[in-house]
Amino acid sequence: MNAKRLRLQLAHSTVHIVLIILCVVCTTPLFWMIRTALAPSADILSSHLWPNHLAFGNFVTAWHAQPFLLFLGNSLLTNATIVACQLGTSALAAYSLVFIPYQGKRLVFFTTLLAMMVPMQATFVPIYSMLSTFHLINTYGALILPFVGSAFGVFLMRQGFLSIPKEMVQAARVDGATEWQILVNIVLPHAKPTVATLVLLNFVYHYNSLFWPLIATNTNNMRVVPVALSYFLTQDAGQSLQWNLAMAFDVFAIAPVVILFLLGQRYFVQGVTGISLKG
Amino acid sequence: MSRALPGVLKSQARVRRQTARQVQSSIHGWIMILPALVFLTLFVFIPMAYVVYLSMFQSNFLTPKMRFVGWENYYHLLTAPDFGQALTNTAVLAAGMVFLSLPLALALAILVNMRLSGNSVYRTVLFGPYVIPLVGSGLMFTLLFNTDGGLVNRIVEIFGGHPIDWLGGRQSALLSVLILSIWQYTGYYMLVFLAGLQNVPQHLKESCRVDGGGLWSTLRHVTLPALAPSLFFAIVVCLIQTFQTFDQVYVMTGGGPDGASTTLAYYIFEKGFQMYDIGTSSAASVVLFAMLALLTWLQVSFSNRWVEEES
Repeated sequence: MNAKRLRLQLAHSTVHIVLIILCVVCTTPLFWMIRTALAPSADILSSHLWPNHLAFGNFVTAWHAQPFLLFLGNSLLTNATIVACQLGTSALAAYSLVFIPYQGKRLVFFTTLLAMMVPMQATFVPIYSMLSTFHLINTYGALILPFVGSAFGVFLMRQGFLSIPKEMVQAARVDGATEWQILVNIVLPHAKPTVATLVLLNFVYHYNSLFWPLIATNTNNMRVVPVALSYFLTQDAGQSLQWNLAMAFDVFAIAPVVILFLLGQRYFVQGVTGISLKG
Repeated sequence: MSRALPGVLKSQARVRRQTARQVQSSIHGWIMILPALVFLTLFVFIPMAYVVYLSMFQSNFLTPKMRFVGWENYYHLLTAPDFGQALTNTAVLAAGMVFLSLPLALALAILVNMRLSGNSVYRTVLFGPYVIPLVGSGLMFTLLFNTDGGLVNRIVEIFGGHPIDWLGGRQSALLSVLILSIWQYTGYYMLVFLAGLQNVPQHLKESCRVDGGGLWSTLRHVTLPALAPSLFFAIVVCLIQTFQTFDQVYVMTGGGPDGASTTLAYYIFEKGFQMYDIGTSSAASVVLFAMLALLTWLQVSFSNRWVEEES
């Protein structure tokens, strides 16, 4: 009995050690980012694991070198608008798909699914020329409009709505509530976790995405955070790059999503596992 | 007759009221789905169709003149060495992700699922990289892979190796992209597997143990078969994700050296947005689209089959 317990404890400790090592490896890039951001210029590529004296001034310099608040403002404004629009269009569509009987519903649903597999990388040329016809390139409109409708959003909301009892909706209808009232007062309050998941996942997704903003904007004042970040490398051509300032800027850029992730962890996990379980 | 009439009228009125209600509800249904459908049509379906159309022409952004060339752009892709290279690179990345990232993710999921104290901390730390913008982690890894004084080369030197020009070498550039992708995505697949593991019936595990099965045989005969749907889901999502690899390449290598780390998505971007060769770019987009469509179809049809088997 004792030997058995000992063996179990030994196994557990081994697992702990393996996991701790992997977690250390996993956080090393982040550690190195912070370490470099705090290093004085002479110390950037030195062999010290931690700089001899910390140059907190790097953060101030990086903050003033680039209008980070402008980039962050652009990101927050466009991403919040995208998420709000997606929530609206997706909730309406999912309500229609789940609670209203009508002909052609299946076809509509499969069409939506079809949209999920078309990546922006394959369609950016027509979208670019369409938006440039309406003189929308390099405007907030160009950053927002392509993402107002979201196949993923419709799919996720539909999954959430499916678990709401149909009798509840039916009862409200008998009581004379309009479809709009049912959606806002009954269905959405019952789907709060799904709404939170959709909001968080899509906000982070769009905050992180580089491809379309890179194409759709071309002046400094329209840049969003990822585009501004990518310019560090392309502008300074690698060699003359001041790594400590670049890493300080990287910390600024990453902080919003990391904070959001730590606060809303549960919903991220739910989002990932919920989607995978339902295929 | 005279007594039956009111009844008939009443039932006719009921039918009329019912059809009226049906029509009304159809109208409601369509109105509510319309916003999503209109935007998806404008920004997904029409552009997709237009890309197929554009792939039949030779054109560029600068001059509006378009010349119909039929399948020529596709023939060009077949023989173009740079497209072949991009396809190969994408396939290598995909293989690397499926054979390195997914097994690692599965192992992590099994370890984290052992309900040790602090496993939620492990889960958070290991999943963390997934939410970090790829541009941000690309910048971090560019520093780590720095030729002189980068952390990776320092570790190589400790083990007695020679420093490597990671991002500038023909083989190592793609390897660097792969390493970043593994760091970024493995935690996500771990969560996918973790969700699958929590569906493994506990009583099966126990009965296997009672029958004298060790840890390994429980894993092989109970856990892995129950995990098959998650495994399939993860493979398909992993392939879809890898086929769209762009940010890592854009930030770390710019597709270089000499196309050695150009992926399919980067190739489309380069041809379309930097060289204004819309025809070639569109034809490559159609190839990418076809491959993604095939994968999505596989995923949908298989997951349907599993769902049906379960119920």
